[in-house]
Amino acid sequence: MGATALAARGVRKSFGGVEVLHGVDLDAAGGSILALLGENGAGKSTLVKILAGEYSPDSARIEINREVHEEMNPRSAHAAGIRMISQEFQDAPTLSVAENISLGRLPTRSGIVSRRRMRERAKRVLAEMNVELDLDATVGSLRIGERQVVEIARALSNEARVLILDEPTAALSHQEVEALFLYLRRLRDRGVAIIYITHRLDEVAALSDRVEVLRDGNIAAVGETSTFDRAALVSAMIGRTAAAVGRPEARDWELGAKPAVEFRHGSLEGVFDDVSFSAYPGEIVAVYGQLGSGSAELMECVFGLRKLTRGELLLGGRPVTYRGPAQAIRHGIGFVPADRKREALFAVRPVCENISVPSWPRLATGRLLIRRSAEVSAYERWRAELQIRSRDDPMQPIITLSGGNQQKVVLGRWLECGTPVLVLVEPTRGVDVGARAELYRSMRELARDGIAILVSTSDYEEVVQVSDRAFVLARGRIADSFEGDKITTSSLLRAVGS
Amino acid sequence: MQDDPARADQSASLPIATTGVDGQSGPASDSIALQTMRSVVRRRLRVPESAALVVVLGALMIFFTAKSHVFLTQANLINVLIEVATVGILACPATMLLVAGQFDLSVGSGIALVSCVFAYLITHGWATGLAVIVSIGLGLGGGVLNGFLVTVIGINALITTLGTLAVYSGLAFIVTSGLPIEFNGFGELALTRPFLDIPWSVYIFFGFIAASIFILRMSVFGRSLFAIGANRAAARLAGIRVNRTIFTTFVLSGFGVGVAGLVAASQTGEGSGSTGTGYELTVVTAVILGGASLAGGRGSIFGTVIGLLILGIIDNGLTLLNVQSFWQQVISGALLITAVGFDVTRRRLTEG
Repeated sequence: MGATALAARGVRKSFGGVEVLHGVDLDAAGGSILALLGENGAGKSTLVKILAGEYSPDSARIEINREVHEEMNPRSAHAAGIRMISQEFQDAPTLSVAENISLGRLPTRSGIVSRRRMRERAKRVLAEMNVELDLDATVGSLRIGERQVVEIARALSNEARVLILDEPTAALSHQEVEALFLYLRRLRDRGVAIIYITHRLDEVAALSDRVEVLRDGNIAAVGETSTFDRAALVSAMIGRTAAAVGRPEARDWELGAKPAVEFRHGSLEGVFDDVSFSAYPGEIVAVYGQLGSGSAELMECVFGLRKLTRGELLLGGRPVTYRGPAQAIRHGIGFVPADRKREALFAVRPVCENISVPSWPRLATGRLLIRRSAEVSAYERWRAELQIRSRDDPMQPIITLSGGNQQKVVLGRWLECGTPVLVLVEPTRGVDVGARAELYRSMRELARDGIAILVSTSDYEEVVQVSDRAFVLARGRIADSFEGDKITTSSLLRAVGS
Repeated sequence: MQDDPARADQSASLPIATTGVDGQSGPASDSIALQTMRSVVRRRLRVPESAALVVVLGALMIFFTAKSHVFLTQANLINVLIEVATVGILACPATMLLVAGQFDLSVGSGIALVSCVFAYLITHGWATGLAVIVSIGLGLGGGVLNGFLVTVIGINALITTLGTLAVYSGLAFIVTSGLPIEFNGFGELALTRPFLDIPWSVYIFFGFIAASIFILRMSVFGRSLFAIGANRAAARLAGIRVNRTIFTTFVLSGFGVGVAGLVAASQTGEGSGSTGTGYELTVVTAVILGGASLAGGRGSIFGTVIGLLILGIIDNGLTLLNVQSFWQQVISGALLITAVGFDVTRRRLTEG
């Protein structure tokens, strides 16, 4: 036990002349879980990518089992037993679950791939994780959370001595997270060193033995997890003292008379059943549900991406049926999807274009001719309003912004469009703590201006922090609903569990 | 870590560019020099995409001027324009298509079909005006078919237009029974030179350039093409009618085929199944050379025009130097690869 020991000393790294790691140390021991905590841009991912040999450091001394490596490359890191599960999928989407789990090391019998042993290996590791997946399903057809599970299963089944996980739970459901933690603990007890990057403070307490907090490329705190409380971790992360999960200030504005959006006994075959709820102008309504609960699909029905199989969708009190996003937008609905990179960003295009896409017909002269200046002024307006941090350059490609600021641009897109209903799915996924608070504040202000906001999220802290009313969706049915100060983390978790 | 500048390394792990000596791809093998260059390039490379092209064009002109007295004369430069006019008319809508991440490979055989049908109609006693209208309608029809197959049926554009390339080419030979149909008259597009000693065909090309610049830069339609090319799913969720837009662009490409087919017929005085053979490659070469990204979301008509002029001048210059015409094929193939190589490298250097 405890045979493996990784020690990194004085890790420095700069990109384009800007140093992002200023001589950071990191220790990971076999039989121990290290939580690596920090806001976006703190240097966490850069640090672990250096350990995994993906980046070469400007200077560093990395010791693995007393063997000194001046520099790692992907091959030597792999030989040392370092396995990394990164945020971006590194799978083969056209291959099956079983093939992906054995990717790069297919079991063979006299040179011929043994599909039977490949399936057995996959079955064994998935059973150990307590996950049920169709071994023959192509990975590309899986939901995000399931794809992540396959990635983890692949690393776990492949002799990991140091396992690095870069925010693995962002897309996982509650049960999947529990199962993952269980298995990580089991791996730890077998002597694997685990480095676990996360944003979520509850995970730090639940899982880790030690914690290291990075801020702006320096170590802000390091030590036994038990010696830190939540507030200490938060202030180490953001460099100032922060309040715990709090409710927003009470609403001091009137709601509209008629619900802006309403579901009456809405059903989507095989996904959700007999769902009724509404959101009034000026109100933030959250639908809390874990992956597979149907909450994301509920939102897709509002935006015309799916059609209810039974029941009614009403806008402003009138039943509507439409097909496709273009029609939904004309009915006054804005939509912020969960997968920002794949479904919301025009990565190579300038920010000013990104913010004005759905507003082009309105910004254009005679709905036909668009001038750059109209886009720029739209961007400047929301840049100030939403405090989007970017260069003073409307032509900056959006991909160069941080996750939180990208999300603000996507939100601004719909504000510029002026839709009276906003539908947000997992609005703060991949967004750091500071930017998250700003987004919540912006959402409250929008509600004050009379916009009806629907949020679908699997983050219960988010529900508490932002919503006026909350519906808990479990297995396609509304399990419970809460209003005002009745919305607490414990009430939400209880409702899901029941 | 979304804003981590080193993410360039990830998105740039393209097979061609990053395979190191040891067969390992990836940033670990990047030297500091490359990273420094990357940051410099990232800062400077906003405008120079087309500036570098202009430099290449200038260098070519200097080279050929030094080698041949005839090259830098008004008559010869007009010849270059005449030579690129037909391909250029096709390249304008092709730029729009590539911006949206689409291709139309059927343009070369499309103009063969148009010129053959036009020649057939003229030699069978049709009035010129009527034959012109039918020819342009035929081009549009071809575009409608391509657009239908790509957007409604949902076949990949490359495969669709590879198929229609063969179909249109076969039909062209069927119309002419395999032999070119010569006709009299309708030389106006090629021969009449209204101003500056430049024929109508070149002015039509200029018209296409102006209209395409206007569409791509100023219209909601043009902007939508960039959005679709950059991220098709996001474009749909932002309310852009993706299929309708792509369909329309294929129809525009068909319109280009109709007009270019008439120009070709006017220039040659015949309708032939072998007219326009290989034009699709020249068009794609010019568009990519001009800075349009194969991945979509980028491209400009200005760049395409420079790309066309580079190809046209190489063609013209080598002819003046009495180089065998087969070399022109070799060079234009090499240029296509170079252009794509530039595209890949540029993405590696500039994308963060």
